[in-house]
Amino acid sequence: MKAVGICGSDVHYLRVILLFIVHSHARTKRGVKSASRANIRWILIELQEMRIAHFVVKEPMVIGHECAGVIEEVGSGVKQLAVGDRVALEPGVSCWRCRHCKGGRYNLCDDMKFFATPPVHGSLANQIVHPGDLCFKLPDNVSLEEGAMCEPLSVGVHACRRADVGPEKRVLIMGAGPIGLVTMLAARAFGAPRIVIVDVDEHRLSVAKSLGADAGVKVSTRAEDMAEEIEKIQAAMGAEIDVSLDCAGFSKTMSTALEATRAGGKVCLVGMGHNEMTVPLTSAAIREVDVVGIFRYKDTWPLCIEFLRSGKIDVKPLITHRFGFSQKDVEEAFEVSARGRDAIKVMFNL
Amino acid sequence: MGKGGKGAEVATAVAGAGEEENMAAWLVAKNTLKIMPFKLPELGPYDVRVRMKAVGICGSDVHYLREMRIAHFVVKEPMVIGHECAGVIEEVGSGVKQLAVGDRVALEPGVSCWRCRHCKGGRYNLCDDMKFFATPPVHGSLANQIVHPGDLCFKLPDNVSLEEGAMCEPLSVGVHACRRADVGPEKRVLIMGAGPIGLVTMLAARAFGAPRIVIVDVDEHRLSVAKSLGADAGVKVSTRAEDMAEEIEKIQAAMGAEIDVSLDCAGFSKTMSTALEATRAGGKVCLVGMGHNEMTVPLTSAAIREVDVVGIFRYKDTWPLCIEFLRSGKIDVKPLITHRFGFSQKDVEEAFEVSARGRDAIKVMFNL
Repeated sequence: MKAVGICGSDVHYLRVILLFIVHSHARTKRGVKSASRANIRWILIELQEMRIAHFVVKEPMVIGHECAGVIEEVGSGVKQLAVGDRVALEPGVSCWRCRHCKGGRYNLCDDMKFFATPPVHGSLANQIVHPGDLCFKLPDNVSLEEGAMCEPLSVGVHACRRADVGPEKRVLIMGAGPIGLVTMLAARAFGAPRIVIVDVDEHRLSVAKSLGADAGVKVSTRAEDMAEEIEKIQAAMGAEIDVSLDCAGFSKTMSTALEATRAGGKVCLVGMGHNEMTVPLTSAAIREVDVVGIFRYKDTWPLCIEFLRSGKIDVKPLITHRFGFSQKDVEEAFEVSARGRDAIKVMFNL
Repeated sequence: MGKGGKGAEVATAVAGAGEEENMAAWLVAKNTLKIMPFKLPELGPYDVRVRMKAVGICGSDVHYLREMRIAHFVVKEPMVIGHECAGVIEEVGSGVKQLAVGDRVALEPGVSCWRCRHCKGGRYNLCDDMKFFATPPVHGSLANQIVHPGDLCFKLPDNVSLEEGAMCEPLSVGVHACRRADVGPEKRVLIMGAGPIGLVTMLAARAFGAPRIVIVDVDEHRLSVAKSLGADAGVKVSTRAEDMAEEIEKIQAAMGAEIDVSLDCAGFSKTMSTALEATRAGGKVCLVGMGHNEMTVPLTSAAIREVDVVGIFRYKDTWPLCIEFLRSGKIDVKPLITHRFGFSQKDVEEAFEVSARGRDAIKVMFNL
């Protein structure tokens, strides 16, 4: 392994593990007798929350899944790769037997084995073993760090496909975090003629504009500001909004997207903020504004690599922090990634 | 069956010159319908004049009667009600080639502009300048005669009655929903709600080839009607959110396999949430019903299973297909017509009361 990025999901799993270690340590110091019921309940609650949705970390697990490296050994049946090849890795190993896989939607496979989604180990390691067909050769002008960036970029590419972004679609993006940014880069590569991006953070908006957004609109987290914000957004677009991609995933961002998108348009829910949302679904439905979601991606590496090779997409500005592979580096890197703000993509170089 | 019947007490007035005065049912105020004269516009070259024969009552007609508005459509002046209709051509404009006097036709209500982006792009149902029967300020069609573009009048085959012609309108909602939700021979379908719209959606789903259809409702009688009309299974549900998990299990057991497409013909937080949770990964949920606007739904858990949500606004390009379904017998809408009335002040008032009460009343039909 040569380059591994940190994803928000890696941070999410980690945060609750660290909390657990801290509190159980404290309990041991005080001795079992003095451990209060409140502490035990707290620890049990933390134990229950070592998870994202129904994926629970029950045993130690290798973290990390956005990665690229150099082939050191190939199995006897691997024809398209050779020792020394520089490759980007698609994390998920699907079963290829179920209805989803055979129907071309392998990302929905119930038996998917995905790096760093428990109980499957991740790839922040010196070496890993992986199916050769999920390793994609990098052209000479695409670096290993860019190879690792294919993973988050794939989320943006899959979203643009599902939302049908193209040369005639004016695009609104909610959220200028790492996912909003890769989605914006993908939308541009898919030919979107105009892209408006929104965020609560002025710095992130300026980064988005430097990366090619046509306009940025600062929004709040307050529901009461929504009507006024929609006016500003539509004014910034200067025309009807055909496709909205919500890369934040909250009631307010989805409601804004649903109301701002033109009749017959599409809204893609990319971000995973809240599960239960209160949204004006009927007024969107009676304007035939469709809602599509995404789960990871499928068949995106070849396209991502081509976008990078041709220069249609430049992901290098998204890599804001770099670390080596030591205990200290790993701990600090996750802290930097978790703080957000100026940290977009934190990359390990091994 | 209701009172009235074909030809009884048809309200027409004869004006002094010996010419018939055209009468219509007007919505004049909340809960007030009056049969009054309705002056027809001049016939344009592409128009036809139709003698109305069969007009059904829709939930939206009842809603306007009760509230004088739906969303931002407000009845500010008296408006002729009704939009589900069929009749006989009595006059054709000079440019109308495909129709002749005497033809029996079903009418598509909405006149779009054919100039805007939606119209040119094939989604004319979304036209901002749509002029639709009984959506204010456009007059409806519960009248002796109306004038309408000839291209929106579709000839009925001999074996399709005028009442069935009027049923093409609600049936079109079901057909458009099935198209938008991609119902077909490989799609197992769940339908939330066995009211008139749930039932036409079910009939449409069957005609589109759905191999198995499960329908749910809170009302036992409506479920039994649905089953008699061809639902493979019915599941009784409640309006209580806490029952949802258990109901989803029952629904999935009734389907016996994954649910590919769900059509929510009720349109509430609970019915949408049930549909979103019960539908398989990669499937579709179509919101047909218009219950609540703001809904609280588990949208993210549906989105991360790539369960897509599509809505519908009325329909587009559905009359030819509806008529063919009726002609071939693939769909039989006749059982949905539960009550019939003539066209008198008394009939009109009573018909709307019957329609509004729901329960055993599915489609109330006027015969003029």
